[in-house]
Formats: sequence, C-alpha cells, structure tokens
Amino acid sequence: MLELTLKKFRKRLVAISARVIEACLVAAAILALGLFSSWYLVEAGTRLTTAKVGPWVTWTSAARPDADPYTRAHFANAGTLAVSSEVQRTYVAKTDSAGERLHSSCEYLIDGRFPKAEWWSIVVFDQRGRLIPNAAERHAYTSQTVALATNGTFTMAMAREARAGNWLPTGGAGRLAVVLTLVEPRAPDSTIVGDEGGLPVIRKVKCR
Amino acid sequence: MKTLANAVTRRIRLLLIVLISAAIVHILATFTAPMMAGSTPYVRLAQTAPLHAFTVLPPVTPQSQPLPFLGPDARYAVCRYDTGRGAVAINARLPAKGWSLSLYSPEGDNTYTTLGQDGQQAVVALLLTPAADRFLGLTPEANGRVSDAQSALSLPGGRGLAVIRAPDRGLAYRRETEAILAKATCTSKPF
Repeated sequence: MLELTLKKFRKRLVAISARVIEACLVAAAILALGLFSSWYLVEAGTRLTTAKVGPWVTWTSAARPDADPYTRAHFANAGTLAVSSEVQRTYVAKTDSAGERLHSSCEYLIDGRFPKAEWWSIVVFDQRGRLIPNAAERHAYTSQTVALATNGTFTMAMAREARAGNWLPTGGAGRLAVVLTLVEPRAPDSTIVGDEGGLPVIRKVKCR
Repeated sequence: MKTLANAVTRRIRLLLIVLISAAIVHILATFTAPMMAGSTPYVRLAQTAPLHAFTVLPPVTPQSQPLPFLGPDARYAVCRYDTGRGAVAINARLPAKGWSLSLYSPEGDNTYTTLGQDGQQAVVALLLTPAADRFLGLTPEANGRVSDAQSALSLPGGRGLAVIRAPDRGLAYRRETEAILAKATCTSKPF
C-alpha cells in the first residue's frame, strides 16, 4: 500500500517537474527572442530605419522628435548628442568599402570629393566612440582644415604611423569607427540619402 | 491518432504563445529603452553644466571627452534648463556656417536646431515657455509692462539641454570662438 502511494507520488512529482522545466524554457525563449530582436534592431537598424551608402551607414530619422521607436532607442542607448537628420546627416563607417572591419592594424586611404554640404567633418574613433590618443593630437579633418588636391578631391591616410598630407592616426585602438558629418547637405533631393555628391571611398592599403 | 493530433495542436499553440509573448517583450523593451538609458547626455553633462548658464566645454580630447562620438571638430557650449520655475531665454550668436544651436530633451531627443550662415550675424533669441497649464504669476502685459519676449521665438519648454556647436578651425581661431560662445546667455525669466 505504502509502496503504491510512493510510486504515485513520485510519478506526480516527475510530471510537475517536467511542467515547471517546460514553463521555464518557454519563459526563457520568450525573453531571449524578445530582448535579442529588440537589441539587434536598435543596434544595427533595418532598411526602414537606416540607409547604407558603400561602407557608410546613417539613421534616416536621427534625433527627430517624430523618429520611430528604434531610432529613439538607438540614440538613447548610444548617449550621443545627435543633431536632427533634417539639418545634419551623420554617417558611420565600421567597415572599408570592401566590407571588411576597420582595424588599427591596417592602413586605409579615404578618397573623396568635397561633399555637397555647407560644412563637413571626418573623425576617427575606436569602436566605442572614444577618441584615439596620439602624439600629433589629431583626430579629425573638416571642410576648413583638409588639404585638397587641385582638382578638388582629397585623400586621407588612416594609419598607425605618420603619413604625408592628411593623416588620421589610429594608434593601437583595435576596431575603428569613422564618422562623416554633413551639415546642411545640398543634395538635389534632400530625401535621397547619400546623394550629396558621392561619399568617400575607404580603401585598405595593407595590414601588419 | 487523436493523441498525435492533440500533441501537434499543443505544440502549435505553444509556438504561438512564445511568438506573441516575445513580440510583446520586444515592443516593451524598444519603447522603454530611452527611459531606461542611464547615461543620457543630460545625465552625463549635469555635473559640468549648471542650471541656466552656458558653460564652454574645453576642447574635446581623449582625456576630456564627455560623451561618446563627441568629435574634436567642434567646440561646445552647454546650458541645462528647466522651465519649471518660469520661462528661459536663450540668446546666442551663430556667425558662420557650421555653427548651430540645438535643444535636447532629457531623453536625448533633438527638439530644435537652428544653423548659422556665412556673412550673416545671426543672433538667435529663443524663449522656452513653461507648459500652458502652469500658473506662474501675471504676465508682464497684465502688469502693465511690455514683454521683451515678443521678438524671441517661443518654444515649449520643460527640462533639457541647449547646446551651441562651433566648428573648431584650429588654434589661431580658438580664442575668438570661445569669446563668442562665452557671450551666449541662458537665463531664467520668472514673470
């Protein structure tokens, strides 16, 4: 009699344990799926929230009061002082034009024409948005400080060691992020992202 | 056969529950992210920027970079404002292209931006007004005085940051840029 009761109790215990484990797995799957999909769309964006021109990525509704929830969450998490994409367009490149991750162990050339904007700048950061310490104290070029070729184009070297001309030191920062800011882009149609006269190309020269 | 059908129905129901619940978690996580973000520019700059006064930030360097992706290509003056005790008047000069004045909410939304233009001594005058349903005393007009706010652009206030950006044209221009930034004002104007 006692053995039978014990057997029943054990059976019930196993059934309850199975249900609890199943419920925990379902809850974990719900949380993982919901949080990961949200994180991914907030961090990386989609075609609905970002536009890509070569290696350059821009959030099309950046810092606008009527921005979609993903854009708002992206800039809130980033903790940056973004300016509305209605007056300024900010592009970030984390890869070169061939799609390979930018890294301080490699040397790159940024080639471009003077973008169609009232003012522009190119700044190099590490992947977390920190400036890279260097003896030259050089981190950026702007439309007022870049040296142009006679045909109006520019070439910037992004390298660890000093280079002649426009040189952006990358030190030993690891992964890099290059930010191109265009103030008042003069695109023929301001709704077309990347139509500011062609954005610069980032070419890998060599790696260590 | 019936047991198999029941098992399949149960699995489908479970899958639907997981997908719908995950969608709800996704929406909640996305919508609450701006409120959950602890290190917004407003919070980070609260130590540096006193209430109702523009502070000219030192040139951005690796050692003094208050915010991520804040470039050394510009100089910044920041004012923290709160229209809870009255309107806030902001006056600034944006003498050239590349200069801008922006307002940010505590969550980091850019609520207003105006830009400078070459050859125009653009003086920007903004009046950030408290929420319409708050009574803060009689208006200057009701007291028989003329309000100086009439020439200013009125915007709804609240709490936030006013940020002036000035392109950093190099060491030779730094003093001139700093002088213009230092002249910007951000003052509380109780009725």
